Amino acid sequence: MQRPNPGDAPRIWRHAETNCLIPLKPEKAASVHFIPAMLDPLSSNLERYMDLLSARQKLVASNIANADTPGYKTRDIDFQAEFRNAMDARQPHIAQVSGLKTKNDGNNVNIDRESRLLAENDIRFSIATSLLRSRLKTLRSAIQEGRT
Amino acid sequence: MSLFSALSVSASGMAAQRTRAELLTENLANAETTRTPEGGPYRRKDAVFVTTPSQSEFRSIFASHLDTKPQGVAVSEVVVDPRDPVMRYLPGHPDANPDGYVGFPRINPAEDMVDLMSTSRNYQANVSAISAVKDMIQKSLDILQ
Repeated sequence: MQRPNPGDAPRIWRHAETNCLIPLKPEKAASVHFIPAMLDPLSSNLERYMDLLSARQKLVASNIANADTPGYKTRDIDFQAEFRNAMDARQPHIAQVSGLKTKNDGNNVNIDRESRLLAENDIRFSIATSLLRSRLKTLRSAIQEGRT
Repeated sequence: MSLFSALSVSASGMAAQRTRAELLTENLANAETTRTPEGGPYRRKDAVFVTTPSQSEFRSIFASHLDTKPQGVAVSEVVVDPRDPVMRYLPGHPDANPDGYVGFPRINPAEDMVDLMSTSRNYQANVSAISAVKDMIQKSLDILQ
């Protein structure tokens, strides 16, 4: 971790992606992603991607569980926009989904949509873990001086 | 951010659907029951679902950090059909009234069977969600292998 001296004011942190120094207010400091010295920015992006996928998967599970609850509205996050804001490390914004047919009991959960998202998140997560695993494998190979 | 709360959300969905399936099978089993402890014929029961915050043991700790509060589901109440029983003319029946009519539960087996199918499909959907999430947890454990 690239940490500044504790007494510095304003505190300076190294931005995880651009690697440039950025001043930060102390209270905001805890919410920013930092890259451990051994890993590259791609790995921390993968981590953020997996975080977002698990947040979305939770919402999908919640939508499926409430498929029969009167008045329940489908909730989701705007994945692309949230990922673009990845470096803020903010909690994703949850919104209702528009364009879904509302049933008589006020519920608008579409099981087909949720099943698709369930499978899609699973596959995306699998890709992200494979990529991260290969980065770590490269790193391990370097540590072991190329010996297997 | 933990995937485990997704597991408890799906588990709450399974529990709720199971409760509903129990009530529906009870209705089918009691389609001809003329005596109950409350008196009178059996009355159809159904479950009402309501969203609840997910029941994870770490919920209280994470509640302030997590904005993505997953919502589980619970059975808020069991409603009893208020409609009058169906009267059938069976003068020899021990529960017949002085006019010879017996009150039978107002249960339409087709209605209960269709509800049971829907319950069973919803239960399956929750099981699929659990296995997908479990798969994701397993894959993140595999990163370090």
